[in-house]
Amino acid sequence: MAIVSIRALTKRFADTAAVNDLDLEIGDGEFVSLLGPSGCGKTTTLRLLAGFLQPDAGEIRVAGDVISSANLLVPPERRNMSMIFQSYAVWPHMTVAQNVAYGLKFKRLSRHEVEQKLAKLLGVVHLAELKDRYPAELSGGQQQRVALARALVVEPHILLMDEPLSNLDANLREEMRFEIRRLHEEFKITTVYVTHDQAEAMATSDRIAVIDRGRMVQVGKPGEIFDRPKTRFVAEFVGKANILIGSYDGHGVLQLKDGTKIRVSADGASAGTTQVAVCLRPHNVVLVADDIEARKLADQNYNIFRGTIRRSIYFGDSVDYMLDLSSEGMLRVVAPPNELFAPGQQIYAAARPDACVIVRD
Amino acid sequence: MNWSALRLSDPTLPVWVSAALLLVFLMLFPLAAIFRTSLWDEHGLSLSRYVEVFSNEQFLKAIWNTLIISIWVGVISVVVGALFAWLVTRTDLPWKKVIRALVMASFVTPPFLGAFAWTLLAGPNAGSLNKLYRAITGAENALFNIFSMPGLIFVMALYSFPFVFAMIANVCELISSDLEDAAEILGANKWRIAVTVTLPLALPALLSGFILAFLQSLSLFGAPAILGLPAGLHTITTQIWALFQYPPRLDMAAAFSVPLLLATMGLIAVQKRMLGRKGFSTVGGKGGQRRMINLGRGRMAALTFVLAILSLSVFLPYWILLKAALSQAWALPLTWDNFTLKNFSFAFFEYGDTQLAIYNTFKLGILTATIGTFLATLIAYITNRNLFIGARYLTFFALAPLVIPGIVLAVGLFIAYTRPPLVLYGTIWIMFVAFLTKEMPIGFSQAESTFKSIHPELEDASRILGANRLLSLKQVTAPLARSGLIAAWSFIFIGVIRELSAAILLFAPQSKVVSVVIFDLKEEGQVGVIAVLGILLLLVSFAVILTVHWLGGRDVMGTRE
Repeated sequence: MAIVSIRALTKRFADTAAVNDLDLEIGDGEFVSLLGPSGCGKTTTLRLLAGFLQPDAGEIRVAGDVISSANLLVPPERRNMSMIFQSYAVWPHMTVAQNVAYGLKFKRLSRHEVEQKLAKLLGVVHLAELKDRYPAELSGGQQQRVALARALVVEPHILLMDEPLSNLDANLREEMRFEIRRLHEEFKITTVYVTHDQAEAMATSDRIAVIDRGRMVQVGKPGEIFDRPKTRFVAEFVGKANILIGSYDGHGVLQLKDGTKIRVSADGASAGTTQVAVCLRPHNVVLVADDIEARKLADQNYNIFRGTIRRSIYFGDSVDYMLDLSSEGMLRVVAPPNELFAPGQQIYAAARPDACVIVRD
Repeated sequence: MNWSALRLSDPTLPVWVSAALLLVFLMLFPLAAIFRTSLWDEHGLSLSRYVEVFSNEQFLKAIWNTLIISIWVGVISVVVGALFAWLVTRTDLPWKKVIRALVMASFVTPPFLGAFAWTLLAGPNAGSLNKLYRAITGAENALFNIFSMPGLIFVMALYSFPFVFAMIANVCELISSDLEDAAEILGANKWRIAVTVTLPLALPALLSGFILAFLQSLSLFGAPAILGLPAGLHTITTQIWALFQYPPRLDMAAAFSVPLLLATMGLIAVQKRMLGRKGFSTVGGKGGQRRMINLGRGRMAALTFVLAILSLSVFLPYWILLKAALSQAWALPLTWDNFTLKNFSFAFFEYGDTQLAIYNTFKLGILTATIGTFLATLIAYITNRNLFIGARYLTFFALAPLVIPGIVLAVGLFIAYTRPPLVLYGTIWIMFVAFLTKEMPIGFSQAESTFKSIHPELEDASRILGANRLLSLKQVTAPLARSGLIAAWSFIFIGVIRELSAAILLFAPQSKVVSVVIFDLKEEGQVGVIAVLGILLLLVSFAVILTVHWLGGRDVMGTRE
């Protein structure tokens, strides 16, 4: 059941539409990420959800009731939501305990209940020892935990997160991703999470909504978004992608510019002889040097390309190659490091048809 | 956000709208009164008063005097202020902290008090310095007559250069040595660097420093009245004051105020453009390292020069005030026979006007500072958070008094509040309104920069957790803004207790303030009592500044160590 339903949401700043005719349904207890490049309107969408902004058109409903529209705005303080901010927004003049307990002041709870909830949450985010410290005495990660505890302690219906990890260093960011997912499993609060980092979205979300220039381009489970991108933008923004251009016959075969025919995953894509783009992920390509190996793969229905290695970068857990396919340009390949190829080497690149996904340009 | 959004959803809207309306009313009402009175007579619209003003030789002479004085004050202030700023921020001059503190002391000294002190120092007959000169040289004439155009320029420059200093010191601190190093690496010598890099970077600040000092002297009333009037020298402000004496010509005063108002507006606009230019804003980034230039042998000479100027603005005037306060006859040496505390007991307990004036002054200071800070805080919050459409135009209204000289404001308020529906004249409330209006820019800019430094998300976080806007302001924003707002309060308070140019037109017997009493006592020649009251003003001002410094670690001159 959809608890949050966003319909035709539009917000203009001056003449540009920051959010343009956006639709999204979010289920009860679901964790949805809004993913997109900076300036795509994802934070604006979140602030519209929170009630800090009022839409110019469209509406937001929670459990059937309109909370935002062009002529109605329930103020943030009456939305039963919590939000975690990019800057943490931990109040420097209050201790950890005062920060976390702040939202409980408006809940008409007994002193005892407040103490209990506070202790529980501080335990959950491992801050019990630090409860009398001031934020200035905490590390970035600890401040982030204070912000998390402060948002969760009020048991909100909906939790909003605005790039909560972008100010942390890389290691801590990775750790906090799991932490956020763990807390979601524990509390099952409906969550909307804004990020420009696809790995963060993948690690935390049930579903991802990709936004580009104020418009929703694709919504789906992380695997769907990654393996079955619908547009070239999604393919290139979420992970690395090779884009091959050719004409499509409508029956699973694409003819490249040099005449090579490859089998592609159609997924009900539009037929016709028009130019279409195909996304092929670098890690879905298998490299083989041997003619016989290559023929074997071809027999297994793989698409086979011939090329020359132009560049290889060794990353330890993988090797990043740039292949020159002559007439088709460059192909990027990420391969396991168990067999190394040198620049200049002639090579076969093989990819299964279902890894070659037609995308809208 | 738009109006309808707020109307439907935000129960705090009435607070914001009433603050905004109050501000607009405060600013527009007196100005409207000036224009109306200067343009309308019983026959309707008429320019006759303007014709009268600009064909009257005496008035033209006052305008001419004002221009000459202001240009000189501007030039001297920029030269001295910039030199001081450069020495303090870029060289290895000794005793920098002491020097900053002393410049601040001249900053805080009300110019009318400085002017009064200088009448004791350099009056042609009894002035201490002239007596000393005569004693040493045996000459018959005075060395220097302070009651003259040069005397007036000299004293006004002494109390205007600190403004220029504060402004240029800020700029000097932002020009990093990197910029100069870059030129040096490219092969420029020291002189070339100064001319091609440092000077152009500082030029907008120098020009706008000139404008600042020029405006300052354009709108001063006390010093020209004390030093100019005895020499028959009128400026625009003293001329406006004279038009208020019996028989009052309000319409003429209003018409005469308009050119002063327009000149100020024009100059502020020029200054704003200069500061807003791109070349200048690149300096605005907190630059890299600053190296101190080694003055070498010039170090002691520079220190001597700095202390000499400061003795003219601080040491000598303070010394003569103290001497006058503690002696029976101020012109005689301060011996045991001449020593007395009678001036203090007379000032505080016997002289009729002083007790009431002191009470009024501090009452007005505290009231204006408290309500002014509150209003400025609300307005700064509205503009900073852009609470409704057009919110940023409030900035214009809050800063408008910058372009209204105090005496012009007083003319407007006098006309506006001596007739129904709002009759405030004769009470201290008309002065309260005047001070509230006049001090709004300083309170507003202080509150504005405070809010700028507080991330809006801190407040959003409070709202989403269930606190409405006002409650969030109280619980989160206000405590974080505390030291900034205390500073705003103090600036307003100090501004009020030293105010003369508006008070001089608006006071009534029951609403006299200390500055007005000092002005009156001058006519009676009550030197000792004036000195006591002046010292009281200074001590209270310093106490307030030290408290702010101690509470918030803020430098009142607005510069960093």
